[in-house]
Amino acid sequence: MRAGFFRLIRDLHLYIGLFISPFVILFSVTVFFLAYSWLPRIGSETSNTRIVSAFLLPENLASLSGRALIDALKPGLERAGVQGEVGFVRHLIKEEKLIIPVIIPGRVTTVSVSITNREATIVARETGLAEAMVTLHQSPGPHGPAIRMNWVYMMVWRWMADATVYLILFISLSGVYLWYALRAERSVGFFLLFAGALSLFGLAYALSR
Amino acid sequence: MPSAAEPTGPGKPANVPRFWGRFERWNRKLHFYAGLFLLWFMWLFAGSGLLLNHPNWSFAESWNNRQETNYEREVTAPGPELKDDLAQAREILRQAGIEGEILWTTTRTDPNLFDFQVRRPGHFFFIKVDFLRKRVSVRQSDVNLWGVVKVLHTFTGVQMDDPRNSRDWPLTSLWVVAMDGVAAGLIFMVLSSLYMWFRLPGKRLGGAVALGLGLLICGLFCFGLRWLY
Repeated sequence: MRAGFFRLIRDLHLYIGLFISPFVILFSVTVFFLAYSWLPRIGSETSNTRIVSAFLLPENLASLSGRALIDALKPGLERAGVQGEVGFVRHLIKEEKLIIPVIIPGRVTTVSVSITNREATIVARETGLAEAMVTLHQSPGPHGPAIRMNWVYMMVWRWMADATVYLILFISLSGVYLWYALRAERSVGFFLLFAGALSLFGLAYALSR
Repeated sequence: MPSAAEPTGPGKPANVPRFWGRFERWNRKLHFYAGLFLLWFMWLFAGSGLLLNHPNWSFAESWNNRQETNYEREVTAPGPELKDDLAQAREILRQAGIEGEILWTTTRTDPNLFDFQVRRPGHFFFIKVDFLRKRVSVRQSDVNLWGVVKVLHTFTGVQMDDPRNSRDWPLTSLWVVAMDGVAAGLIFMVLSSLYMWFRLPGKRLGGAVALGLGLLICGLFCFGLRWLY
C-alpha cells in the first residue's frame, strides 16, 4: 500500500514535472529579461502599416468605457483583421481619434481610428520571441483587471499560469515527500531547507523592515 | 526499475562508465538539493504570482488597507558637489533617515523643488523637497504582509519601459541576485529532470507525452498565436 503510494507520487512528480517544465523555463528565463530590463532580439523586428476604411464603430461610442467599450470595438477590429488582447483604449477627444492597442504575444498592433471619417490606420509590429515570453510572464498581471482577459487565448493563458503555480506546489510537496523517503539524505536536506528559509526570510526582513 | 528519486548504485550495469555513474548520482542529488534550498523561494514567487494575477482577491488587498503617515523634516540643501539628481536624492534620504530604492516619476522643472519616490517592500515614500524652505515633506504608505509579498515578486529597481530608473539601493541588487539564483536553479532543475527522465527507458513514452503536451501548449502561446492570427 505504502510502496504503491510512493510509486504513484513518484510517477506524478515525474510526469507533471515534465509537463510544466516548458512553463517553468519560460517564467525563469524571463526573470533575467525583466530584472535587467534587457530583451534579446530573437528574430527580426518588423513593422507593417495598412489603412482600413469604414471601420465599424459602436453607435453609442461616447457613452462607453472600460470593458464595455472593448467589447463594442471587437466586431470592428475583427472585421479589420485585428485579433488579440485589447489594452487600454485612449479616446483623444480633441483629435476625434481612438487609439486601440491590441496585443498578441510577440506582436503589438496599434489601431488609430478617426471617428469622423471612420478610417483606421493599423500598425502591426512584430516584437519577437523574447517580448512574447515577457508578455506571457506578466499576463494577466495586477493592472486593469476589469478590462484584461478580453481575448479567449489570454483567458486560457491565465488558467495555464494559475495551473503552473498549483502544479509547482504539487511538485515541490511531492519532491519533499520523495526526498524524505531517502533516509541517507535527510540531514543534508534539512540543512538545505533551513538554509533556504533563513536566506529568504533574512532577505525579506532586511528589505521590508 | 530505477527512478528519479531512487539511489542508483550496485544495480547499475557494469559498462556504464564511471564518470557517467558519478554524473548521474550528482545530477540526482543536486536536483533535490536545489529543490530543497529553493523551496521557500519557489513558494514565495509562485504564491505572489498567483496574487498578482488575481487582483480581485479581497483577502490579499493591500493598497486600499494601507496606513498613511505624513511628516516634515528640516533638511540642509545638498552642496554644489552633489550635482545630479541621484546624489541629491541620496543626501536627502540620509538626512531624513529613509532607505530604499529611488523611483523617478516626475521631471524636475524647478531647481528649488525636488519630487521623487522611494520604495521598499511594504513601504512607499512620496517625497517632496523644497530647498528654499529647507523642508522635506514625506507621505509614507505602509502596506500589510500581502503587499510585501506582492512587491517582492517585482522588486527589481528597473522597469522595462522606463530607462530613467535603475537600481540604486544595494539591497535591491542583492534581491535581484537572489531572483537570478532562483531562476537559474529552476532552469537547472528542469534540465536535470530531463536527463533523469531520459535515463528511465520505461518512462520515456509517458514522459514524452507529458513533455510534448507542455511544449505544445507553451509553443502555441510563444509562437503559434502569431502564426495563426
